[in-house]
Amino acid sequence: MTIIQDRPGPQPGAPHGTLVEEPLTEFVPGPRPRGWVKFITSTDHKQIGLNYMVTAFIGFLTAGLMAEGMRTQLIAPNNHFVTPDIYDQLLTMHGTIMLFVFLGPFAFGLANYIVPLQIGAPDMAFPRFNNLSYWLYLGGFIVMTGGFLTNNGAANFGWFGYAPLTNAIHAPGPGADMWLIGIALTGFSGIFTAVNTITTVFCLRAPGMVMFRMPIFVWNQLVTMFLVLLAFPVLTSALGLLWADRHLNTHFYEPGGGGQPILWQHLFWFFGHPEVYILALPYFGVVTEVIATMSKKPVFGYKGMIGATLSIGGLSMGVWAHHMYTTGAVLLPFFAALSLLIAVPTGIKFFNWIGTMWRGTITLNTAMLFTVGFLAMFLFGGITGVVLAQPPLDFQLHNTYFVVAHFHYVMFGGSVFAVFASIYYWFPKYTGRMLDERLGKLSFALLFIGFNLTFFPQHDLGLRGMSRRIAVYDSNLGYNFLNALSTTGAYITGIGVIPTLINIFKSMRTGAIAGDNPWDGQTLEWATSSPPPDHNFESLPPIRSERPLWDANHPDELTRVGH
Amino acid sequence: MKIEWRTILGASLFLGIICAIYWFWSTEDTGTALLLFGFAAYLMLGGYLLLQWKRRHGIPRSEDKEDATYAETAGEHLGFFPAASIWPAGMGLGGIFVGVAMIFGNWYWVIALPLILGSVIGWSVESEAPEDVPDEVEAARRQDTNIDPADIADTDAPAHP
Repeated sequence: MTIIQDRPGPQPGAPHGTLVEEPLTEFVPGPRPRGWVKFITSTDHKQIGLNYMVTAFIGFLTAGLMAEGMRTQLIAPNNHFVTPDIYDQLLTMHGTIMLFVFLGPFAFGLANYIVPLQIGAPDMAFPRFNNLSYWLYLGGFIVMTGGFLTNNGAANFGWFGYAPLTNAIHAPGPGADMWLIGIALTGFSGIFTAVNTITTVFCLRAPGMVMFRMPIFVWNQLVTMFLVLLAFPVLTSALGLLWADRHLNTHFYEPGGGGQPILWQHLFWFFGHPEVYILALPYFGVVTEVIATMSKKPVFGYKGMIGATLSIGGLSMGVWAHHMYTTGAVLLPFFAALSLLIAVPTGIKFFNWIGTMWRGTITLNTAMLFTVGFLAMFLFGGITGVVLAQPPLDFQLHNTYFVVAHFHYVMFGGSVFAVFASIYYWFPKYTGRMLDERLGKLSFALLFIGFNLTFFPQHDLGLRGMSRRIAVYDSNLGYNFLNALSTTGAYITGIGVIPTLINIFKSMRTGAIAGDNPWDGQTLEWATSSPPPDHNFESLPPIRSERPLWDANHPDELTRVGH
Repeated sequence: MKIEWRTILGASLFLGIICAIYWFWSTEDTGTALLLFGFAAYLMLGGYLLLQWKRRHGIPRSEDKEDATYAETAGEHLGFFPAASIWPAGMGLGGIFVGVAMIFGNWYWVIALPLILGSVIGWSVESEAPEDVPDEVEAARRQDTNIDPADIADTDAPAHP
């Protein structure tokens, strides 16, 4: 009994290393809207991915301006650029927008655009669902930012909204509700995107794209989406309980009614710690792709890389209370041990990144510069993370600027640099045109100098005891010079974004034509035109290793399988 | 499918172990409940994938075969991809108005409900995915006996008991 006897066998004309010439599929073309109608109704993963990324970048600029406002307030002691209440609103919304509107959704945009291309899929698994999640995300952004237009202003209790500060007495008015609902909306959007991406990766891979041939970027997005699936429902439930406390007179977080403020901390950080890995892992994937392509080598230690990603993902779910050491109500050795363990897989990743560059033919263009910047800055943030993971040190440094510096080295020096790397790396695919290298390098230089000037002094400020989230400080505390330095750096960082913006607007219209594969790429997104057509591929090279396009273009240098 | 369910069930197992250690060491409720949730959520997902794998009798899909060719999946089995649609935007707007109702008062439900209900109806009657079951799986389901793995030409398919 043969079951698949009548199916066509292997293509005789398609040996290892040549392109399959015939079209993969036939699609009935639907209506093709343009302009605003396309923006609103499109179910094309590429359009939705770009929507995500552009909106997220607007969020980055918005929250970046808020940061400039805060740094201007802190430039001198006893300064009165903004009132303390406005300052609190700025710091809350800066954190909230950067995390929930910029870094996470930018990664979702990359997942939307790049993941189907890299696994040879025609679209995401649920295209309309995908469109819905974009609208919820945009709605969340508008709702939470709209708080600034209300009488009492936006939320002002810090981005992790600790319990007594968020109740109806301490945070009256709709601003706090708008913060809460806005985050819930982006949370739902995140969950939907996670479901969509996981289904896409599990069910829509091209034939031969077995799990262990997927690019590291796809693996990282997959693990990220599993973290989203676990973390965001917890946050949404916690927000639901908070809403009930504020509107239905329940007492989940009210000690007066038998509730526990610390319950919020547990729920929030059970979301919050996987969240920072949700904001980091996709960008680890980005730098892996950039390093491999720009070094013209396969990823060193491919399976080790995947194992490291999985271990980081797993461990990240057991470390939430290292944000709560000083509450005195958590099991210190357990959380310290698991937190310190995360350094091991992260170290493996660094080893493999350097191993990938080792003896490669490195092209040091803007994308690669940002990636190398990422490596240096993220390493620094990781080391201060190890410092903070140890309870005796954390008791000293908790809630000081040292934590702010650590966090920004991870999130800005790490993830934001990778965001810029991704823009310079994949822009040719999005638009068919290259970004200008000179403007890009100028942007990198300004950002690198400005970023370090902003945040390096903050380590010292923290060690000197400057508390985070204060709007004014006295002039006799020894904070003056370092704060002035930090604010100068913040201005340079802000200026550093401008060349990239100019570059994007200019190159969209007048940039050099990129062609399909400007970087001599290794993965499948470079096998199609730039930008890709509807449903992505006219033809695909056979997939026999983790870099199918390289094998097709360099038959004399085939990837060794099973290394 | 094999790597998929193994990965997810592995994550579930890891969370289960962490949960047990955490409970016996700290006896703290919130974290234990959350870790238990994580364990159960991944167990459900990994279990579903395992069941799907069993339902296919371990026949690998072409994306799980190292030597698969494009000819195997060309045409009807690739998936269903709807064209542009206005309903997701309508539903998104409805969802946003649910949020607005939770902030500013219940009368916003007057806007939210029609948007959501209308979009659900529009979305569900708009188009329908054709049923899509690969031939060999359909045949295996019908006959359900005596599939010789040699006939399926694959390396990691176990013989059906």
